[in-house]
Amino acid sequence: MVKFSDWFDSSLNASIHAVYSFAFIDEGAKREIRRKTLKAVAIPGYQVPFGSRDMPVARGWGTGGLQLTLSLIGTDDILKVIDQGSDESVNAVNIRQFVERVTSVQTTEDTTRATVIQTRHRIPEEHLKDGQILVFQVPIPEPLRDVEPSERETRRMHAEADYSRMWLFLYEDIVRYREISIGARYPVMVNGRYIMDPSPIPRWDVPRLHQADTLYLFGAGREKRIYAIPPHTRVEPLEFEDHRFRVEDFSGRRCTRCGRDDTYLDELIDDASGTRVYTCSDTSYCAKTEREKAV
Amino acid sequence: MIMSRPILIANHLTKRYGPGCPRCRDHTGAQHNSNQCQACKTVIACDNVNLRVFPREVVGIVGESGSGKSTVIKLLHFDLDADGGEVFLEANGKAKEFIPAEKNVLELSTFRKRQLRNSVMGIVYQHPHLGLRMNISAGGNIAERLLMSGWRHVGDMRDRSALLLTRTEVPVERMDDLPRNFSGGMQQRVQISKALSNEPALLLLDEVTTGLDVSVQARVLDLIRRLQQELDVATLVVSHDLGVIRMLTTRTLVMKNGQVVESGLTDQVLEDPQHPYTQLLVSSALH
Repeated sequence: MVKFSDWFDSSLNASIHAVYSFAFIDEGAKREIRRKTLKAVAIPGYQVPFGSRDMPVARGWGTGGLQLTLSLIGTDDILKVIDQGSDESVNAVNIRQFVERVTSVQTTEDTTRATVIQTRHRIPEEHLKDGQILVFQVPIPEPLRDVEPSERETRRMHAEADYSRMWLFLYEDIVRYREISIGARYPVMVNGRYIMDPSPIPRWDVPRLHQADTLYLFGAGREKRIYAIPPHTRVEPLEFEDHRFRVEDFSGRRCTRCGRDDTYLDELIDDASGTRVYTCSDTSYCAKTEREKAV
Repeated sequence: MIMSRPILIANHLTKRYGPGCPRCRDHTGAQHNSNQCQACKTVIACDNVNLRVFPREVVGIVGESGSGKSTVIKLLHFDLDADGGEVFLEANGKAKEFIPAEKNVLELSTFRKRQLRNSVMGIVYQHPHLGLRMNISAGGNIAERLLMSGWRHVGDMRDRSALLLTRTEVPVERMDDLPRNFSGGMQQRVQISKALSNEPALLLLDEVTTGLDVSVQARVLDLIRRLQQELDVATLVVSHDLGVIRMLTTRTLVMKNGQVVESGLTDQVLEDPQHPYTQLLVSSALH
């Protein structure tokens, strides 16, 4: 038996492998998740139900993404894990260390080096290539949940492509605020068929889902759903002819650390002076830019 | 005058609640004054109803509570699934592409039914909360139907909503208010705007004036009659109120215990009723 405290002692990795199969979850479960993932890829934007397993982190803390990562990862893979663009936040570090422990794969902070990237609520700034896989952690996979609480009804709406309620929601938003007020979780139409929740990524990242070179996989552990956007798929944010989709406006602002003005910025309040400062949300890209500048 | 093709044909329309048995027919219907089968306890909501509506015509269905008149309209609007019978609809515009002629529309998939309903029909229910979303603005309620038919321009939809609200005498300033805060008559007028937004070929009115006070009733009826004449839309009116039937319709079916007991020109039915039930109905009307 492996004691709980032993999980935090890396010298015991060998004994962990003796007790657990490679990548923690058992082979039967992995096979199921891979099968459901293939189905998700075959029907872009469709939510495939899967038997979400118990993970050593609580549901709602990235277990959907984690199960996808664990069932996909092989010994040759290089893993990167980010949380809101940061490699160093608690959630990202925990998940990265866990996968490292149960697979012994290489990890990296460099987006261009990684083969599998698990992410919470961001797409890395650097271009994602063919062959890389981006795994999203999804809290609420159902884009229609805000307009319809019943799961049976939302499934019917998807089946019949009955999306007028979603459009009506956007119409009412425009009437009330003169603009669509959704920030993160902006609904998108995938391959002209399914409305999909892109997970709570900012609007900034939404255009990067369209005709990408990379495979995007979405896992919702608590809600037990897997869905996907295969490479080179049409992904269009919902918009009206006279109210076009637009991304966050950072004009006139730049990262105080690396100086870039073409990235998604986080707003910070400096405690001492009380002023607003902006930094890149993608920390590894920010650091890379700084290093390149220093050279 | 050459008779045009009917826009709506319903044959042997049947709806029952319960298993049904061979003896149902012997226990239910007007002559037994019951719509529940004594053998299997099945309730026959409507039994073998035949109906035709021609272009620009207004047909009425009159009957007491529980006679099955609302069931007929709900079956035609696909709100309920029929247990028997067939319905043929003359599809217009976009619906022509996917509804083959001479197709029993009751056999279409729910997806096709919804498409057909969106492009061909408009309905006004007795209770506004059935036809309207009370937490969505009046303009939004009208826009919903337009969105269903593929409109994607907010400005155009607002122009169309404003036009419809003007026509139904709802102040345009209240377009962005919630129907929850409207009076009953006004809610009913918003419902009518919504039903007319997609220029339906067939308008279904289910007890539209029931529950409104008499002066408001009169205004709503005036409005319906005016719109009906302006738009030339074929209309099916269901009401228990002979006054409404007399005012709006040219042809009438009288229903009792799920069956049609008498039908004919409205004047004829009301002035010279043949069936004992119709005679009772006409003689009980307040004058």
